[in-house]
Amino acid sequence: MSDATARRRFAPGTTIEDLKAYMGPFVDRLGYKFNTESSFVDDVLASELEILEKTGDVYCPCRVRTGDPKEDVRIICPCISFHRDEFAAIKKCWCGLFILKEVEDGSELFGVIEALSGDVEVPVFRVEDLPPGQVRHVKVGKNDIAVARVGDEFFALSNVCRHAFAPLADGFMDGYHVMCPWHGWRYDVRDGTTDHPDVDVRTYPVTVRDGEVFVTVRIKR
Amino acid sequence: MHKVFVYALSTCPYCRAARAYLDENDVEYDVVEVDKLEGDEYKAAVEEVRRVSGGTAFPVIVIDDESVIVGFNKKRIKEELGL
Repeated sequence: MSDATARRRFAPGTTIEDLKAYMGPFVDRLGYKFNTESSFVDDVLASELEILEKTGDVYCPCRVRTGDPKEDVRIICPCISFHRDEFAAIKKCWCGLFILKEVEDGSELFGVIEALSGDVEVPVFRVEDLPPGQVRHVKVGKNDIAVARVGDEFFALSNVCRHAFAPLADGFMDGYHVMCPWHGWRYDVRDGTTDHPDVDVRTYPVTVRDGEVFVTVRIKR
Repeated sequence: MHKVFVYALSTCPYCRAARAYLDENDVEYDVVEVDKLEGDEYKAAVEEVRRVSGGTAFPVIVIDDESVIVGFNKKRIKEELGL
């Protein structure tokens, strides 16, 4: 398969250590870390360097490129942002290069890459990434979610205003309410209610643990 | 004897582990390394993997044209092959 048009982000001679330095801080902000099995990490990154040489980017070694750029961008490592719910369900990325920070022994997660179904706590960002009185958008699987912070409390609700479908995370906070940026509809971030009947938005459970914010979503298969 | 077919990628650590596990257990299998194919053969193999497994994750292990195991799921391989 030809990848002549791929734009190169990595300098010739990129090493495993370069990839670690590049990926480590990024996945840290998403609630992940490198697998505790360092030889496995080196093995996977060596594969990624092979792929980098052939294609110009670090595609996931366990996934095949389809030739569709929009689909293939979802398998450029680290691809956690695109697959937050699936990875949270199996506590690692597909190949196990990255594992949830809470996992102590990454070797126990080797092998399975089929996503599970059911409720899953998905790490979305660190506490310090959202100051009090602000709201931000996160994409979790197919869900567009607005996560709001009031003091030290966090709340999650659908990011889509039921009036004209504006992104609520582009609005602003007023106490426990988020104001839609387009027409000013007010939603209570605690329960998704508005002043208008029968147009409340969905809310999601939020937990905070060890400085990470988790949103619980349901994965259906 | 079971009929075992493996779709693999040459770069994939789980594909290597799965094949090593099958080898260790003297399981005979056919394999195609999809990323080593080119042109129409490559496209056809990708489509076949998608049809069989519902995605593009590897390895894909097809047992007796019925069971499909995605990834190196040792427990399932063991169960399906009676190892």
